[in-house]
Amino acid sequence: MKNTLVLFAHPYLEYSRSNREIIKFYGKYEHLDFRDLYEEYHDFHIAAFRERKRLPNYERIIFHFPLIWFGMPPLLKLWIDEVFDKHWQQKNERNPLEQVDAVILITAEGDESCYSKNGKFHFTIEELLSGLLVCLEVNNIKLKQIKCIYNADRISKKEIIIHKQDFKKILEQ
Amino acid sequence: MESSFAMTTLIFLGAAIIMVPLVRKLGLSSVVGYILGGIIIGPFVLKLTGNEADNIMHATEFGVVMLLFLVGLELEPKKFWGMRKKIVGLGLAQIVLTTVLLFAIFRFLDWRADQAITIALCFSLSSTAIVLQTLQEKNIFNTVAGEASFSTLLMQDIAVIPILAVLPIIANYKPKEETAGTLFLQRFPEWVQSFSVIFGVVILIILGRYVFVPFLRYVSKSGMNELLTASSLFLVLGVSELMTLVGLSPALGAFIAGVMLANSEFRHELESHIDPFKGLLLAVFFVSVGSTINFNVIMQNPAFIFGTATVILLVKFIVLFSIGKFHKMSNDQNFLYAFALSQVGEFAFVLLNYSSNLYLVEPVFHSQMLAVVAITMFATPFLLILNERFIAPNFNIKLSEDKENESLTQDIDQRKIIIVGFGHFGSTVGRLLRANKIKPTILDHDSNRVRILRSYGFKVYYGDARRLQMLKTAGAENADILVLCLDKPEDNLYISELARENFPNLKMFVRSKNRNDAFTFINNGIDNIYRETLGTAVNMAVDILQSTGMRKYAARRMAKRFTLIDKEVTRKLAKSKISDDFTFTTKDALERESELLAMDNLNFDDSKFQEKEEEDLNN
Repeated sequence: MKNTLVLFAHPYLEYSRSNREIIKFYGKYEHLDFRDLYEEYHDFHIAAFRERKRLPNYERIIFHFPLIWFGMPPLLKLWIDEVFDKHWQQKNERNPLEQVDAVILITAEGDESCYSKNGKFHFTIEELLSGLLVCLEVNNIKLKQIKCIYNADRISKKEIIIHKQDFKKILEQ
Repeated sequence: MESSFAMTTLIFLGAAIIMVPLVRKLGLSSVVGYILGGIIIGPFVLKLTGNEADNIMHATEFGVVMLLFLVGLELEPKKFWGMRKKIVGLGLAQIVLTTVLLFAIFRFLDWRADQAITIALCFSLSSTAIVLQTLQEKNIFNTVAGEASFSTLLMQDIAVIPILAVLPIIANYKPKEETAGTLFLQRFPEWVQSFSVIFGVVILIILGRYVFVPFLRYVSKSGMNELLTASSLFLVLGVSELMTLVGLSPALGAFIAGVMLANSEFRHELESHIDPFKGLLLAVFFVSVGSTINFNVIMQNPAFIFGTATVILLVKFIVLFSIGKFHKMSNDQNFLYAFALSQVGEFAFVLLNYSSNLYLVEPVFHSQMLAVVAITMFATPFLLILNERFIAPNFNIKLSEDKENESLTQDIDQRKIIIVGFGHFGSTVGRLLRANKIKPTILDHDSNRVRILRSYGFKVYYGDARRLQMLKTAGAENADILVLCLDKPEDNLYISELARENFPNLKMFVRSKNRNDAFTFINNGIDNIYRETLGTAVNMAVDILQSTGMRKYAARRMAKRFTLIDKEVTRKLAKSKISDDFTFTTKDALERESELLAMDNLNFDDSKFQEKEEEDLNN
């Protein structure tokens, strides 16, 4: 398995049954570096230099977060703001994220049908995440897949396990 | 004459400087140190003091006056007025009962009636200097026992006047006696004498209202610091002289003057000016008490001296304790109160000299009694330690143990946290825990605080956590976390070492005062150290930066970085402190600190991106 950085951001993990169940998954793999941002940077003071220095070690980044008010949690956004460096795109600079794979795993409330042009929320998941997607593209990060777990507040444990197996397959590709 | 006075003072101070730190190290009150120092330089060991000792003692009695002035400054008139019942109730009962009991005992021992009543009166008073000094050192002014002690002492101060007036009358009982000489009180008509107290107090209140504050304002306008010192001294000296003129105790006068100024804007100014003088004078006073103990007299009749001292301590203790019981003080407070006031006070020196002049007591008897007074004074700190270690704990633990067991059965799976010290710091920690439904066990040595906390449902133990047994009773063996929030860093350190040895699995969170404390804790292997001067100071700096025009978010970022760097630097310095080049490292570190701060990652200047700095920050 590829050396993987898991950026997990959840401000209210203690209330999220599904996410508590899912993150158990990460502990089983050696090459996964699981980072719980809301635990590590609880004071919202991100050690940007340290983060940048670690980036070259990874071949893949997993962005794992719940959709909160139709966007990513603020700390993950802040992490990207502080760590990603616009100088990486200058000609003579080496971008540590170049050719790195990315997988996005999100949990969301509501049915899949809500997230469509004619659905309740009128926007698709991709549209809601457009900022993040552009960010990845500009940095030459290859987005492999967006996996969304709908009705995350309601699904049964069995369904969660099926999602986990699905996710495992994505990672083993 | 003058040079020898100065020389003796010098020797006295020297003795104090050497002895007090020694005694403090042993955990005793500084008063013991002073008195011991006095004994050592006194005529019976080193013979360094001449005849001046007595004079110095009288000169420095003035320290007591200053002490009372300072105490008055802390007490607002309203609060003082609220204490009036206590002052009369506790004080008067104590004086009358003690005098009667002592008189009865002395008569029973076949002392002469006039001597018995004189000594009984002299010995009914307690030592303002020792008690207030101890209360201040232990910081227990605001406890029930502290207030009671204080009220009693105030009443005793007032009582000195009538006692001085009564002594000559007693002296006249003796048929051989000539007239008692000219006494200042007798110059007044009798109706003035009886009203002198009220008269003096009224004068002071008027002065305090309409003269002192405008006077101080006038002086402070000159802007000269030494003038303020001079006028502070002038005020205290003036008031005490005035009081002596009216026939009141100067100490009482100073106290009332202090109360009158407690509300004024000069309160802290006055405090800071008078405090050094008070400290100096009291130190010399205590040393002189030690140096006047006449060991020859004690040697000649040790049984009599020590017997008398014991009887007096016992009688005073019993009287005080019963009064405390009558006023429904809780046992532990009552013990503290009774032990604290059980000695004979410095007024006894004055009164004894006075009655010696009246030929009420013979010279030998006089010096015997002086020795008794000094011994009772010397015994006080030890009695208080006895109380603190052996008596007071018995009263509260038993009660709390039962409750502890009760609550344990209710919520066994609760993660257990012990907080030691529940003052302003510890209570903040505890409140936040409690808001999150975590109930810690709390140890505190202020029994009133303990009672209040218990009524709010906190699991609180009264007791000194420096004792291993106390920690065990609080459940340290099964607890996960020990939080040390005591005021004194050395206490926190001591407990942390004790806990490390006996409960190695206990995780510790320690409050520290400043960097130097933090060094010590770090080198003792404690990871979670909370410097009380760091967070608040940083917050303040953030607000200041903002008011200079910086964006608050930028200031906050800077502050975060600063805090991280500062903690790391402290950690490094603590390790290098063991090596010799400490000063070099400090300077080096401070330079590095500002260098690091200049490199915020929001700094868009390309050349300043350096990676090594984060290494420094995060291990």
